[in-house]
Amino acid sequence: MSLTLALAAVLAIAAAAAYLGRNKAAGLRGGGARLNSLPSYHGGYVFLWAALPPLLLLAIWLPIHNALVEQAVSASPAGQQLPDFAMVREAILTEAREIATGQREAGFNPESAKLAPVYRSTMAHYAWIGGGLAILLALAGAAWALTRVRASFRARSGVERWVMGALVGASLIAILTTLGIVLSLLFESLRFFSMVPPAEFLFGTQWSPQMALRADQAGSSGAFGSLPLFWGTVFIGAIIAMVVAIPLGLMSAIFLTQYAPAKLRSVLKPALEILAGIPTVVYGYFAALTVAPAVRDIGINLGVGSASSESALAAGLVMGIMIIPLVSSMADDSIAAVPQSMRDGSLALGATRSETIKKVVLPAALPGVVGGVLLAVSRAIGETMIVVMAAGLAANLTLNPFESVTTVTTQIVQLLTGDQEFDSPKTLAAFALGLVLFVITLILNLIALRVVRKYREAYE
Amino acid sequence: MSSAALSRWSGNEMQRRVSKRYAAERRFKLLGLLAVGLSVAFLAFLLVTMLARGLGGLSATFLSGSDSTDPALAGVWGALKGSFLTILVTIALAFPIGVLSAVYLEEFARRNRWTDLIEVSINNLAAVPSIIFGLLGLAVFLNVLHLPRSAPLVGGLTLALMTMPVIVIAGRNAIKSVPPSIRDAALGVGASKMQVVFHHVLPLALPGILTGTIIGMARALGETAPLLMIGMRAFIAAPPQGITDPATVLPVQIFLWSDEVSRGFVEKTSAAIIVLLVFMLLMNGIAIYLRNRFERRW
Repeated sequence: MSLTLALAAVLAIAAAAAYLGRNKAAGLRGGGARLNSLPSYHGGYVFLWAALPPLLLLAIWLPIHNALVEQAVSASPAGQQLPDFAMVREAILTEAREIATGQREAGFNPESAKLAPVYRSTMAHYAWIGGGLAILLALAGAAWALTRVRASFRARSGVERWVMGALVGASLIAILTTLGIVLSLLFESLRFFSMVPPAEFLFGTQWSPQMALRADQAGSSGAFGSLPLFWGTVFIGAIIAMVVAIPLGLMSAIFLTQYAPAKLRSVLKPALEILAGIPTVVYGYFAALTVAPAVRDIGINLGVGSASSESALAAGLVMGIMIIPLVSSMADDSIAAVPQSMRDGSLALGATRSETIKKVVLPAALPGVVGGVLLAVSRAIGETMIVVMAAGLAANLTLNPFESVTTVTTQIVQLLTGDQEFDSPKTLAAFALGLVLFVITLILNLIALRVVRKYREAYE
Repeated sequence: MSSAALSRWSGNEMQRRVSKRYAAERRFKLLGLLAVGLSVAFLAFLLVTMLARGLGGLSATFLSGSDSTDPALAGVWGALKGSFLTILVTIALAFPIGVLSAVYLEEFARRNRWTDLIEVSINNLAAVPSIIFGLLGLAVFLNVLHLPRSAPLVGGLTLALMTMPVIVIAGRNAIKSVPPSIRDAALGVGASKMQVVFHHVLPLALPGILTGTIIGMARALGETAPLLMIGMRAFIAAPPQGITDPATVLPVQIFLWSDEVSRGFVEKTSAAIIVLLVFMLLMNGIAIYLRNRFERRW
């Protein structure tokens, strides 16, 4: 018996029990009793008690089951003859499992064919234990719940308690995710910092994470000074992109809210929304294919000899355009929140519309705009695909926008794709970079949200 | 200049001042139009470039084939199927969890330290860079739970964690906009709090929730970086048969092809981008239609 079969059996038992419970309650009502809850709630109550406990049991059992089977197979006579080398051993065990479950006909290793029957029998053995327990639990739950079906029984409250549990459980997932991010980043980063001192990581200016093939090779230790990466990230995401996005986004918002006739606005606004919805990989491809060569040619014409085809400027420009809709919609919200009376007062004094906007509306909306810009910066420095495809890999500390720089996200992708060995400082460095990135964006977001909220309260 | 001259409207001095200010007004307006125009022109330029480069690559073999080392045989069907399976896992997890937690936070939660913590987590998760979710997926789903590498199951799980906050925020706004009179009426005829929510509030809020969900799914469909982290970048020549088979998704396929030096792949990349954009526009179109058709102003 497999665990899938046990699952089906549990559901069938629960469905049958629910039917019985509903009929029993309906019968009570037919006999003239006044039920506290509708018959379908009685059925639902029985179903939940029959199905949920065994399902929970199966969910907990599954990982234990796999570990137990693995252990038992390794302890069997055939399993003890396996080679000690971990990788070969793993491969044979996986093949044997796949043969046992019918996913493949034969393995590459002859041992796996011998191991497969052992695997099959131990799997069946443990599935019987787990599945049997689950079915017993389902029967017990069903029987107990069925005895509670009485006219005065509050089945609806019982069902609603389960539903309430589901609601609470669902909202706890957000906390668990946050916790998972923080713990996984912290845990791997601590392992990294036990190999590379944090001061060297944060303030070093040499970044060359390549690990040598031989220990006696020159430069075998690699250098993990992340300062050039953070400079590149700030240069592309917070400087070049913002030089593009802030004026264009702000002016777009002003034009759309203050000047554009309704008809024009109903065309332009969706166009900006489409710009926001384009996948970043498309922007990246466009940046690499069209913008980067153009930028390099301009650089060479300007006499910049070091102009690179993977320049900071190309990536920053395209990223700025990607951010425009975000800046525009945040500015839109904060301009709309400025009270009409302030605008009217300025116009009544004889100021033109542009003077009103520049001298009255914008200063009043400034905190909201600043909050929006901070959110945009946090979006830009966490952006990955544009910089992976259009920015370079060379870790330069340079102010020249035509040169190549690299960013934190580019290096994370670079470090974690390809062949990985999970204990080397090279892969662990990616988690340390991720941790710093997470902390920076978190701080930016918290400040931005606080600024925006405070500003909204001021006018409400 | 004297103050008497300034207060005379018909005076030369004043006329010059006024025309100067009006010119500034016109310049400002033009600048605004220019800013919007530039963004829209960029969008048009991007779309036209992709169409010009990619339209020639769209063919029956391209739509039905899988990845191949030969650009003439390479197609997007395998990647499309991978994307489809991944989004299926994402929606199956993110939608129920997102809606349930939106209901809890908006209708049941008392304001205390726990609900504040949940709220802060959700708002922050919505702004965490997507690549961080990739690191989470790699560390938890692959290295701790040992789920299969490169599989739509893991990709879907990772993207579900990423889109769940979007659905929660959209769901809360939709639930908030259902007027209290509906709840009061249902409570008044004897419905329990749970019945009020599930029989009345949720159906009325559903169009808004669905709009937010579709927009979240469109974002998940275009996401690349977290999926690179969990290994969905392998060369896969056969379309995946299930959610535990190794697979790739459309945006990752675009990324992989964009790295190919062979000339044929430039056309393939642009053609794949056209396919991806068609799906994105379709989903956004459905979301806008839902919003206009079903959303009520109370």
